[in-house]
Amino acid sequence: MASKKKTSVSSNGRKARVPQPVASSQRCYNIQDYRLEKPCFTLKQVRDGDEVRYECEGDLSASVPPLRASKYLSREQLVEIYRWMLLNRRLEAALENLYKQGKVVGGVYFGLGQEACSCASAYALGKDDWMGPMIRNQGSLLVRGFPPRDIMMQYMAKAGSPTRGRDASSHFGDLYKRNVVAPISTLGDLIPVLSGVALGARLQGRRIAVMTYVGDGGQSTGVTYEGINFAAVQSLGLVLFVENNLWGYSTPADMQFRVKDLAERAIAYGIRGVIVDGTDACQVYDAAHEACERARRGEGPTLIEAKMMRMKGHAIHDAAEYVPKPLFEYWRKRDPVSRLEKHLVGKNWLTRDQNERLIEDVERELEADREFAVAAPMPQPESAAGGVYCEGGCHEVKPKYGIGKAVVPKTRKQGEEAAPLK
Amino acid sequence: MPQLTYLEAIRQGIWGEMERDPSVFCLGEDIGIYGGAFKVTDGFIDRFGPERVIDTPIAESAIVGAAFGASLTGLRPVAEFQFMDFIGCAFNQIVNMVAKAHYRWGAPAPLVIRGPSGGNVHGGPFHSQNPEMWVVHAPGLKVVCPASAYDAKGLITASIRDNNPVIFFEHKYLYRRIKEEVPADDYLVPLGKARVARAGRDLSIITYAAMVYVALEAGEILAKEGIEIEVLDLRTLAPLDRQAIAATVRKTNKVILLHEDVKTGGIGGEISAVINEEAFDDLDGPIVRIAAQDSPVPFSPPQEEYFLPKVSDVVREARRLKAY
Repeated sequence: MASKKKTSVSSNGRKARVPQPVASSQRCYNIQDYRLEKPCFTLKQVRDGDEVRYECEGDLSASVPPLRASKYLSREQLVEIYRWMLLNRRLEAALENLYKQGKVVGGVYFGLGQEACSCASAYALGKDDWMGPMIRNQGSLLVRGFPPRDIMMQYMAKAGSPTRGRDASSHFGDLYKRNVVAPISTLGDLIPVLSGVALGARLQGRRIAVMTYVGDGGQSTGVTYEGINFAAVQSLGLVLFVENNLWGYSTPADMQFRVKDLAERAIAYGIRGVIVDGTDACQVYDAAHEACERARRGEGPTLIEAKMMRMKGHAIHDAAEYVPKPLFEYWRKRDPVSRLEKHLVGKNWLTRDQNERLIEDVERELEADREFAVAAPMPQPESAAGGVYCEGGCHEVKPKYGIGKAVVPKTRKQGEEAAPLK
Repeated sequence: MPQLTYLEAIRQGIWGEMERDPSVFCLGEDIGIYGGAFKVTDGFIDRFGPERVIDTPIAESAIVGAAFGASLTGLRPVAEFQFMDFIGCAFNQIVNMVAKAHYRWGAPAPLVIRGPSGGNVHGGPFHSQNPEMWVVHAPGLKVVCPASAYDAKGLITASIRDNNPVIFFEHKYLYRRIKEEVPADDYLVPLGKARVARAGRDLSIITYAAMVYVALEAGEILAKEGIEIEVLDLRTLAPLDRQAIAATVRKTNKVILLHEDVKTGGIGGEISAVINEEAFDDLDGPIVRIAAQDSPVPFSPPQEEYFLPKVSDVVREARRLKAY
């Protein structure tokens, strides 16, 4: 075929050139970066006398920028997100106290410093969308409608916990009302699962957003690659938050990967990549909202890297003494709850009185749930039995959204037998 | 009734469920236009469209994860593994994500993972294994290993309709070697129920999949010597039909456990313990195990023949046990 320039008429009536393939040397890729500051430092293992420790190289002196104004959130919505973040923060303080009182079975996992990422992301989901949390996304579970008492009872292994004592922490879900998939302990495994949820919905004629999370450590796993790639080739509505909190247990992000930003990996998957400041609730929400809208339009997955720092150890037993102190100081100034509080109060979207009442309200809710959860009974030993299989009509399985036309081809004839093998 | 191969029977079973129930769909590697490496899904994409017959990347964890996710929305995915040896690639999704879902958080996972397993086709160490015990050990999974074409169709139909994750092992040696009358209509063979493939009074051989035919052939030879063996085809390894195992031991009082899987950690050890618990007083001789040697499956035909349990092994052991 003779080469000729293809033209089409654009919306303003002028002839526009249709984009032509370009040589690989000319390709350029775009990662949308919402951040107002770009921290630049690296962590290295250095010998210091008898010991090897982590040292931070880079400039930690920058002052904290303001929050980026949200393109989508109303004042009321932002105050609502602030309340979820406060609830998230104070719930974890309550869990720490319960642990110190010996009431928690096992450890406690914290999302301290990551509340904006959990709460503002889940806030972008609609009722029909789905979410799969990881261990630090207790805020996402709250936003999705689980009361604090559920999380408390999970940690205390109570009979009334969502898993009836059978699993701990954020390891619970709800298929019917809240559309939440329970995570497992291994990392990245929810990515193909949430992709499959989107696939299942699409087979029922629905396009939904499915959100899940993976860390800077978790994204090193093979299943992370498999899951994102599957969503990419199937153009499924996956909204993946890569929570780069700088530490995978005690291993710094610089020892997990060599790319500068994890969002760059979106290029290799052929999907959209975005970077946000994970301590800025407005940025997190805006990126999540846009990704969810794309998902619902059938435009495929988005990988959002949220940069922040895990402000406690891996779990409550871990004092995080391996983290260089200046890093804590740097990120403490960027505390997501304080930043949003300052933003709201500064703009007078929340008066000091209103703020105090809101904090009191959150504390009251947590105290009531704490009392309920502490008083709740432990499970009977024999309740460990049964339920390995779904049997005896314990659950009805039926298409959640009803089968749409998409799955019934037009040529379908009733009762046609399998044709013989060619 | 039409004569169908074991492979055609499985294909017809899945096809029938795709016709009957729009919530059933297939996903896997090369299952669409190519029709699957063994042609089990041949013609499916033309009939049901690429929406319900999905070619996936070569990524078993993604296949299982996506099937599980879709099952959470109330669909019934049928995931093909090109070879069941590749369970290893998706092991975490199968045993930690899928198997534990109902026990942990009450999530039914009505999905089927199916594909070819077994040796005697010179496939070498990675295309000949019998990895059923890898998954039998994970509570929450059902594990099915059909031997006959009739059972293959009835069991795949029952597996798709089951509300639990089912790992369905199709013995590739049987795919085109077994042909028998199979009803055209749909029917169910219940999971968890063994069948007596040959009735006998002198001793029992408890086995499954391709080894059923080894046992039956040995039975013909032994019958000429006046030794009448009973062959119990387990059909399902999880849940195991303890009653049928106990019943055959009570009847014949002597038992050989035969499987193509390696001896150590094979289902034979478990059945031996079941007999100990259910029918110890009925035993008139030692429990005999015949299984593949504890090694990877070797490639070269003479080596693979050495590796696999043979009719002559069964005849020899049956004579020895009968003399007890």
